[in-house]
Amino acid sequence: MIDCLERQPTSDRNARPAGVLALVLMLLMLLMLAGCASAPRLDDTTRAAVAPRVLLDDVPFHGQRDYQCGPASLAMALQHDGVETDVDSLIPQVFTPGREGSVQPEMLATVRRQGRIPFVIEGRLDALLTEIDAGHPVVVMQNLSLPAWPVWHYAVAIGYDLEAREMILHSGMEAQRVESFRPFDATWARSDRWAFVALSPGELPATISPQAALQAIGDFEGVRGAEAALPAWEALSSRFPDHAMAHFALGNARHTAADLEGAISAFRDAVAADASLAPAWLNLGLALESAEHRAEALEALERAAALPGRWQERSREALERVRKE
Amino acid sequence: MMKKICRFLSPLLIAALVLGSLPVAAAPAPAGGMITTQDALSAERAQSDRERIHAVLARDDVRDQLVAQGVDPAEVEARVAALSDAEAAQMAERLDQMPAGASVVGALFAVFVILLVTDILGLTNVFPFTR
Repeated sequence: MIDCLERQPTSDRNARPAGVLALVLMLLMLLMLAGCASAPRLDDTTRAAVAPRVLLDDVPFHGQRDYQCGPASLAMALQHDGVETDVDSLIPQVFTPGREGSVQPEMLATVRRQGRIPFVIEGRLDALLTEIDAGHPVVVMQNLSLPAWPVWHYAVAIGYDLEAREMILHSGMEAQRVESFRPFDATWARSDRWAFVALSPGELPATISPQAALQAIGDFEGVRGAEAALPAWEALSSRFPDHAMAHFALGNARHTAADLEGAISAFRDAVAADASLAPAWLNLGLALESAEHRAEALEALERAAALPGRWQERSREALERVRKE
Repeated sequence: MMKKICRFLSPLLIAALVLGSLPVAAAPAPAGGMITTQDALSAERAQSDRERIHAVLARDDVRDQLVAQGVDPAEVEARVAALSDAEAAQMAERLDQMPAGASVVGALFAVFVILLVTDILGLTNVFPFTR
């Protein structure tokens, strides 16, 4: 192509843009090939843990209309989890006309409005396949094009085949579209491998870390209230019995649901898991006080007031108040 | 002249803004004095009061931006309410540049050619007819 360019008369103005374009194109190719053409690899542990071939064929399919892969993907994932909704009622909740699309935070927010908890999973093919293997369809974000001219797209990953190295997705107008691991991962990587599952309170993703789960359930609780989140906290504290914050959150939710004895027991589990968790000692003390166990309440409040940090002031005040009573 | 006005107005503006944000900073403790899960979590992330004020203001901002982007005003309130603080802050900052899933190509011819080649190489996936 460079030879061709040199044979053109230099006065020919049309040749230059074409030549520049050709050069840019070749440079781009080189960059791309060097940058991200490596095939995605799976951990051996994942390979051993998941079924070699999975297809969640009970996930309903909705073909997207113009620009509306967001609401369509949400409808598929939510209906699979038993939510009675459809694409038309989801469009006004998530679609942004000015952007001709749906943005990520609002995808998650819409899941909350429908009474399900959105868990953003770890951005790795291993996590994605493990979730599908656990029966959870995963909404993924892809950039089908190159970073310079993005074509952002949501699809629902519903299956895979390790042998053939293929993903199966409900995507756009196509049900059960087959994409090889390599192009799928290349397009998924451009969204920083963003993916989430939408689950009923009480169900947890197969791969989630306790911190990520705490955040996801806490955000859900902020929108839908403690009683809606209660089953999720129960599930989290039994999945991670050593995680003090999970027991603490469970105690708060039980307290809001007027289960005082349950709350006290959860706060006790929290301080047993981490004796330096001041908010748990404080809440335990206050719950014991409401249950009229004054001596034990004082004991817990003393522990809270002895711990330095952000809550010390508040703990001391509570301790003073209970002592005076 | 302008400088004089500015010199006079700036302290007033600063005072007004500071006073305006005070009620948010001094949010009342919940009944019974219990620490909520959300408070404990944000303390764990060392979120300062300033950030929490920011989160409150961010929601107003997102509300305005969504209306400007053509969302039905009757829907905006519920949409903003379903966002977490972090999500609201993120949207307030950059709603107009955020990736929005849509999947329609407005293609120039040159882009078309490049994407066709990258599609065939398996680097992109714009055209359904390439696998």
